[in-house]
Amino acid sequence: MSLRILLVEDDRELRTTLREALAVEGYEVLPAASLADASALAAHAHGAGGIDIVLLDLGLPDGDGQALLAAIRADRATPVIVISARQADGQKIRLLDAGADDYLVKPFSIGELLARMRVALRHRGTIAQPAVTHYRHEGLEIDLRAHRVRLDGNDVHLTPTEFKLLARLVRNAGQVVTHRQLLADVWGAEFTEQTHYLRLYMGQLRAKLEPDPADPRRLLTEPGVGYRIVDATE
Amino acid sequence: MLALDGNVDLSNLAMVLVLTSAVASLWVPGWLSAVAAALAVLAFNWSFVPPRHHFAVDLREHLLLLVAMLAVSWIISALMIRQRQLAEGAGLHARREARLRSWSDTLRDAPDPALHASSLRDELTTIAGVPAAVIVLREQSAQPEDEPAILRFGDMDADQRAGLSLCVRQGQALGPGSGRHEEQPDWYLPLRGRDVTLGAAVLRGLGGQRDDRDLRAHAQALCDQMGLALQRSFAKREEQQAREQAQEQGVRNALLAAISHDYRTPLATIMGAASSLQAQADRLSLEQRRALASTIAEEAGRLSRLTDNTLQLARLGTPGVELRCDWESAEEIVGAALRRVRAHDPARRVRARLEPELPLLWCDAMLISQMLENLIDNALKYSPPESPVEILARRAGDRVVLAVRDRGPGIAPAWRDRVFEVFQRGVEPNPAGMAESERRGAGVGLAVCRAIARAHAGELRLRPRGHGGSSFECSIPIRDAPAPPAPGDPS
Repeated sequence: MSLRILLVEDDRELRTTLREALAVEGYEVLPAASLADASALAAHAHGAGGIDIVLLDLGLPDGDGQALLAAIRADRATPVIVISARQADGQKIRLLDAGADDYLVKPFSIGELLARMRVALRHRGTIAQPAVTHYRHEGLEIDLRAHRVRLDGNDVHLTPTEFKLLARLVRNAGQVVTHRQLLADVWGAEFTEQTHYLRLYMGQLRAKLEPDPADPRRLLTEPGVGYRIVDATE
Repeated sequence: MLALDGNVDLSNLAMVLVLTSAVASLWVPGWLSAVAAALAVLAFNWSFVPPRHHFAVDLREHLLLLVAMLAVSWIISALMIRQRQLAEGAGLHARREARLRSWSDTLRDAPDPALHASSLRDELTTIAGVPAAVIVLREQSAQPEDEPAILRFGDMDADQRAGLSLCVRQGQALGPGSGRHEEQPDWYLPLRGRDVTLGAAVLRGLGGQRDDRDLRAHAQALCDQMGLALQRSFAKREEQQAREQAQEQGVRNALLAAISHDYRTPLATIMGAASSLQAQADRLSLEQRRALASTIAEEAGRLSRLTDNTLQLARLGTPGVELRCDWESAEEIVGAALRRVRAHDPARRVRARLEPELPLLWCDAMLISQMLENLIDNALKYSPPESPVEILARRAGDRVVLAVRDRGPGIAPAWRDRVFEVFQRGVEPNPAGMAESERRGAGVGLAVCRAIARAHAGELRLRPRGHGGSSFECSIPIRDAPAPPAPGDPS
């Protein structure tokens, strides 16, 4: 059975284009032009096997999508990818902090969208299933269970904090993790404003794991949003 | 006189007395000298005129002498009184003239004369000796009842407010002695400019001096100086506003013209490629169709960056714009910019070099990386295809300098500052003799870069490089960074 996508986008042209492009890739697309439509479709689909992934545009005529995200997340771990215009930064980060899986800034290419969807679908259900424990990318091997990091076959020594930070990124490999999420999970809920901690430790990690820290290939910065470790399959 | 008694005759003694009283009247007030002269004549009669020690006068000529003495003394006193009055009047006049002159000097130098209205009130209070109050219009077209548009100085009751309003409306003095509203206890004087009245003053309880024309003229002159100064300042303000508006309009027109020019080029390419796909799809090879499609995607990307730049330029141009600043690392910002430009740098010409141990920057990471991206794009576009483009981050005193350096043809000195202005293109010969098609897209790009640098209290400059090429250098002030996380993380 093909995967089912709930596509929430109010612009008709873009909605049609995305729908066609996703249909070509073999997805079943449920298009919605507003949050109300989307809620109705989600409720209806609930009985028929549910929805596998949600593409949620921000700036819809009837709200900012936070309520829909909460409703979708209430009972299952359906991935949500936020699609935003560049100006809607604050809103985008709010939704990511609230548990959206990833984001794309308009305009984006179908290739980017499909890549993000693949990553999100792969992470689907990680709450119930054992989390990602292995990461392998161009000579970098990370084994979270064994607490081991190897670069080109050599062991890399990380401090406990560096390892925790890296592990948090690896568990969502290919997806953006916001500053707030990283700070809360690595340092604790009372440190969510201390973004300078992240600058320091990410710098240390890049120095240890990147051939050229100023031109990183794995530990990517999403300015103003968070960090992302590249997807292992890329 | 007693010493002279017996040596000179009576009429000579009388002359001495007249002389004395004339001399005295030079010093004592006029009325006192008149009274003193009368007493002196009586005393003279008592002491010297026979029968002595008696007020009766024997001889008729003695009586004539006494009357003449009295008359002459009184005439002298009267003349002195008159003289003094004239002198006083002249002095007052001169003082008032001086005050008027200094008042007009004060107003002439004042950028906003309305702020001197309290001085006018004080001045009026001083010259009239009664409390004064002043209202001043803030706009030439304002109405005296229009509360936010007027300034009030001094205490005034409801009647006086109404009186002041009426005075402004009519542009004429009201109150006793003015011929209008004679029953009022107060004087109302308009602050008159040419053909307009821009305020009014009230002199409270001055009804008793209804006939003091000099005071009225002087007070009115002070008020009119104020009125004229207000009118001058309004005219100046209007002129300035008109000039600014015209300038703003000019900038906006240039901006719109340039934006539409910048947009039209990629749009034309997209239109061409898309319509070719639409009309000729079945006659094109798969290869050709792919090429057209990627042209569309590339040009759309260019349009998207152009839109980001244009929006950012507009946003940073609005007063009070808020940046989303945080503690950011130069390495990450450079890294993010590099990743984005890699899409149009397949040959990896761009290299980054960062000084170690750079301090964190308090900045808006999105904006700074957008700036770097623009600068790198520019460098890639305007330098030979194989030449390297360098990003350099270093500390320079209390600033961090982010530089993007190329080995292109450089920019002519005349253009070094003007490349940052929005849209100089097409007006003058192109810098470095580049063809129009090669220069597209630079207009908004560099302008937004400088706007971003300045929004961070920094600056963006262009420096020619020693062996050819340009270096665009953005310097951002370093701020005290917060403390790093507490130790407790053994390494």
